[in-house]
Amino acid sequence: MTDRPALHAYLLGRVEFDALLALQRRLAYDVGGDRDGGAVVVCDHPSGITVGREGSRAHIRPEPEELTARGWPVRWVARGGGVLLHLPGQVACYPVLPLDRLNLTPAAYLVELQLLVIDLLAEYELRGVPDPLAPGVRVNGRRVAHVAAAVRGGVTAFGLVLNVDPDLEPFRAVHCDGDPLPMTSLQRESTARVRVAAVRQRLVEAVAARFGFARVSLFHTHPGLAPRPATHASASATR
Amino acid sequence: MRRTPITLPDLGVARAVLSLWYARVGDRVFAGDRVAEVLIPGATVDVPAPADGVLASQAVLANDPLVAGQMIGEIEAEAGE
Repeated sequence: MTDRPALHAYLLGRVEFDALLALQRRLAYDVGGDRDGGAVVVCDHPSGITVGREGSRAHIRPEPEELTARGWPVRWVARGGGVLLHLPGQVACYPVLPLDRLNLTPAAYLVELQLLVIDLLAEYELRGVPDPLAPGVRVNGRRVAHVAAAVRGGVTAFGLVLNVDPDLEPFRAVHCDGDPLPMTSLQRESTARVRVAAVRQRLVEAVAARFGFARVSLFHTHPGLAPRPATHASASATR
Repeated sequence: MRRTPITLPDLGVARAVLSLWYARVGDRVFAGDRVAEVLIPGATVDVPAPADGVLASQAVLANDPLVAGQMIGEIEAEAGE
């Protein structure tokens, strides 16, 4: 027990979705056992589509053959929200937090995530507004961030995806969160040059500040992400 | 046999829907095991078993609307508990 709760922040690069799911499970296990702490994963994903519980195949316009040609695997995931297209240039921020210690309901937590994004946009002199149709944030009428989470054992998973500077054209093929309007990005809306690294760092700081963490431990890897041999060394030696 | 209701916690929204059951009637569960998943706009939330025992009933089905405090099923204590 400490009166200075610590946030373990994992500033990672590109993380395969399977690896992210395993890492989230591991972090949720850790946080579930020590509810004074918390974690956040900041990363991006290889191009692909995830479909939450509110999503539909109808929101993905390309046929399976075209999805294969584009190299967009489709995964159905146990989170709220709808369809998300993951592209380079986005930043995903996945807090792993005990909601009971934070005294937040799941709905209040989603609001906090939206406010976190709105505050971040304000630093770039942009006025973000919560999306009234589905959790997320809009700038000038277009979605710039998606908020979609899961709560398991009182611990959060998934979180938010922010379009920092992705190629926006591919979004025409996917109605993210069911929204047929084109997406936008932080770089498209901002007059200043936006550095992805700075946004990643600010997201970590924003999560720590908004959820009351006095200390932030910063990691650039996690042992759970280390590549593993396909077979055990002793097993292959006996072949 | 004593039955313990599984009630929907306060999720901070007026309405939620049952997403799916993780347990079937007759499954043996322990307190804290997730037995159902509820969907609110933007998030899924697991509902834990409130007691050890057997899932005795499912009072709601997938996509049924729910409100906080609603009983969604029951856990029946096994003989000897």
